[in-house]
Amino acid sequence: MIRRILPLTLLLIVPAALSAQDLVPLPLELPKPLFVGTPVPFKVPNLEKPSTTKRPPFLAPAGTVNLAKGKPVTASDTFPVIGEIAFVTDGDKEGTEGTFVEFGPELQWVQIDLGESAALSAIVCWHFHAQARVYHDVIVQVSDDAEFKTGVQTLFNNDIDNTAKLGVGQDPSYIETSEGRLIDAKGVRARYVRLYSSGNTTSDLNHYVEVEVFGKK
Amino acid sequence: MTDPHAPDSLDFTRRDFLSTGLKLGAAVLVAPHVARAQATSGQAALNVALIGCGEQGRVLLNAALKIPDIRFQAVCDIWPYNRTYAERLLKKFGHAAQPFEDYRELLSAVPDLDAVIVATPDFVHAEHTNAALRAGKHVYCEKLMANTVANARSMVQAARETKKLLQIGHQRRSNPRYQHAREKVLNDAKLLGRITNVNSQWNRSVSADLGWPEKYALPEAALHKYGFANMHEFRNWRWFKKYAGGPISDLGAHQIDVFNWFLGVNPSSVIAGGGADYYENHEWYDNVMTIYEFPTPQGMVRAFYQVLTTTSAGGGYMEYFMGTEGSLKMSENPAYTKLFREARAPEWDQWVQRGFIRKPGTPDEGAEKLLPWEKSRPKFGAPARTSVVDVRETAALSSWDMPVTLDKAIHQPHLENFFDTIRGKAQLNCPAESAFASAVTVLKVNEAVAARSMLTFKPEDFIA
Repeated sequence: MIRRILPLTLLLIVPAALSAQDLVPLPLELPKPLFVGTPVPFKVPNLEKPSTTKRPPFLAPAGTVNLAKGKPVTASDTFPVIGEIAFVTDGDKEGTEGTFVEFGPELQWVQIDLGESAALSAIVCWHFHAQARVYHDVIVQVSDDAEFKTGVQTLFNNDIDNTAKLGVGQDPSYIETSEGRLIDAKGVRARYVRLYSSGNTTSDLNHYVEVEVFGKK
Repeated sequence: MTDPHAPDSLDFTRRDFLSTGLKLGAAVLVAPHVARAQATSGQAALNVALIGCGEQGRVLLNAALKIPDIRFQAVCDIWPYNRTYAERLLKKFGHAAQPFEDYRELLSAVPDLDAVIVATPDFVHAEHTNAALRAGKHVYCEKLMANTVANARSMVQAARETKKLLQIGHQRRSNPRYQHAREKVLNDAKLLGRITNVNSQWNRSVSADLGWPEKYALPEAALHKYGFANMHEFRNWRWFKKYAGGPISDLGAHQIDVFNWFLGVNPSSVIAGGGADYYENHEWYDNVMTIYEFPTPQGMVRAFYQVLTTTSAGGGYMEYFMGTEGSLKMSENPAYTKLFREARAPEWDQWVQRGFIRKPGTPDEGAEKLLPWEKSRPKFGAPARTSVVDVRETAALSSWDMPVTLDKAIHQPHLENFFDTIRGKAQLNCPAESAFASAVTVLKVNEAVAARSMLTFKPEDFIA
C-alpha cells in the first residue's frame, strides 16, 4: 500500500511542466534538529497541522542546484539585531548562535540576487529552527526587477488578513523545523527572490538561518 | 493588553488582586521614580537594566518590551555577542541602553535605575542580585534563585535588609490559568476532593552541546576573570556543578515550586535517584526521578517528579494533581491542560455555570452566560448538545477544560506583577521567601541523589 501511495505523492509535487523522466530528488541537505529553551504555547489561525513524517523527496530537473549559495543579499533592515545579512546565503544551516541573522520588528524582507534569471524549482527557507515557532505573514516573491515593481510573482503567501498589503494569502502558517519550508517554484524564471515576514510567535523579530533557491540557469 | 477571551471569573480574580494590592500600596510612600517624566499611558516610566543577556535574558527582554512604561537604560553581559544582541534589540524598540561588561560598573554608572533583571548563570545570581539590592534597586532574578541554599539565603537576607523587592522568576505564579486552577478549582470548588498524589515531569529530547561562533570566542583571561574554566563551560554551564543546580534546578524548579504553591505546604521528605547515564560530558546527572512527601492538613500527598533529558516522551512537561474526586493536569502549554472528574464525584455542571470550568469543545469565551432574567439551569434540564457518556457504564473519566487563557508571552504577567509591585499596585507573586522554600525543596534532590536514601526536611529548613 505504501509503495503505491509514495509514487503518487511524489508525482503530485512534481512541477507540472516537467516530465517525470527528467526529474531527480532535490539535492537538499538538512541540518540537525535543535531544541533550545522553553517551548512557547501559541495559537495561530490557519496553522498547518504539523507533519509526523519526513517530507517526501521533491523532484526537480536533473542538474538543479542551489543557486543562492554565496549570492548577495539585501534587506529592508540594514542594521540587524545580531548576525550578518550574508548569513542568509552562507550555506550554514545549523541554526545555533552565530548562524542566524535577526532583523527588527514589523514587516521585514530579505532579497537574494541570483545574478541572472534562472528557471526555479524550489525555494527552501529556514527562519529559525532551534525552537518550535511560527512566523507571521510569510510571503515569497520572485521577479526580474530588483525593485519588485514589475513582473512580480508570488510563490507563497500566508498573510490571510493582508497585513503586509501585498494581497490576501491562502497558504497556511507553519511551525519551523530543521526541514525548512520548501516552496514549489513551479519552474518560474526570475533573478531576484524576496522573502517577507512580520515577527513570530516568540517575539516581534524576524530571523533567517538560510535560504536556498534551487534552479537551473 | 486585555485578554478578549477571558471570562468574568478572571476579571473577578484581577479585581480582587488589584484591590488587595491597592490597599497595601496605600501604605507605601511614593517612590522617587514616580516623580519622573510621565510615559505614554500616563504613569511614570520605570528605569530598568538587564544583567545577563543570554537565551533567558532575551526571553525576558522580549516579554518586558510588551509592557508599557518600562525603559531599559542598560544591559550587561561578559560576552560581547550577547551584550551587542541585547543592546541592538532594545534599540529597535527605541530604548537607548548602555552596554556594560561588568555589572559593578553598570550599577555605579547608571544611578537612576529602579530595577534590575538578573538572568545570569545560577552560580552568580546571589552576587548580582545582592549587589543590585544593596545599590538600592528592586530585583527580578531568574529561577532557581541560587545553586546553593547558602546563596539563596543571602538573597532573602539582602532583600530584607535593603527593604527592596526581590521577585524570583517562577513565572507560573503569575499565569492566570495557574492562578485560576489554584484559587478556583482547587481551593474554592475543591473539585479534586482530597488530593492524594502528584505526578509531574519535564522530558526533553537529546540535544547537542551549545557552540559559539569562533570569531566571538571570549579570551581565556576574560573567562577566568568571571569564573568560567573555558568557552565550552561558559556556553554549557547548566551541565556543570560549579555553575548550576542540575536538571532538577533548570527544569524541575518551575514545577516543584507549583507543588509547594498548590499544596500550600512544604515537603517533609524526599527520595531520589539519578545519574549521568547518556551524556559523557555532563557533570550533572542527565535524568532524575524523585518522590516527595507533603504533609497537608487533609493528609499526606506523595508527589513524583522526573526530569529526563534524553526523551520527550509523555508530552514534554506537565503537573498532574490527583485527588479522590478529580484530577488536574496542568501545563504551561494549554494544550496539555485538562480536568478529569471521577465517576464517584458529584456532577460538575454547577461549576460550569459559575465559570470555574468549561465543557470540552466550548468556545474560549468560557461558560455560556446566564441573562439577568434567567434562572439557573437545572443540571439535567435541557437536552445536551452532545451525547453524554453515562459514568455508570464506563470507567473512562469525563474530561473538562479551564475557561482561562493567557494571550501574552508566558513571562510577561510575572514581570508585570514585579513592575506593578514597584508602583505599589500589587504584591509580589513570588517573593524571595517563597522562592527560598522552593529552592530548598529543589536542591535537596541533589543531596538525595548523592546519598541514595530518603532525606527529611525540618520546618525551619524552609525559613531564611
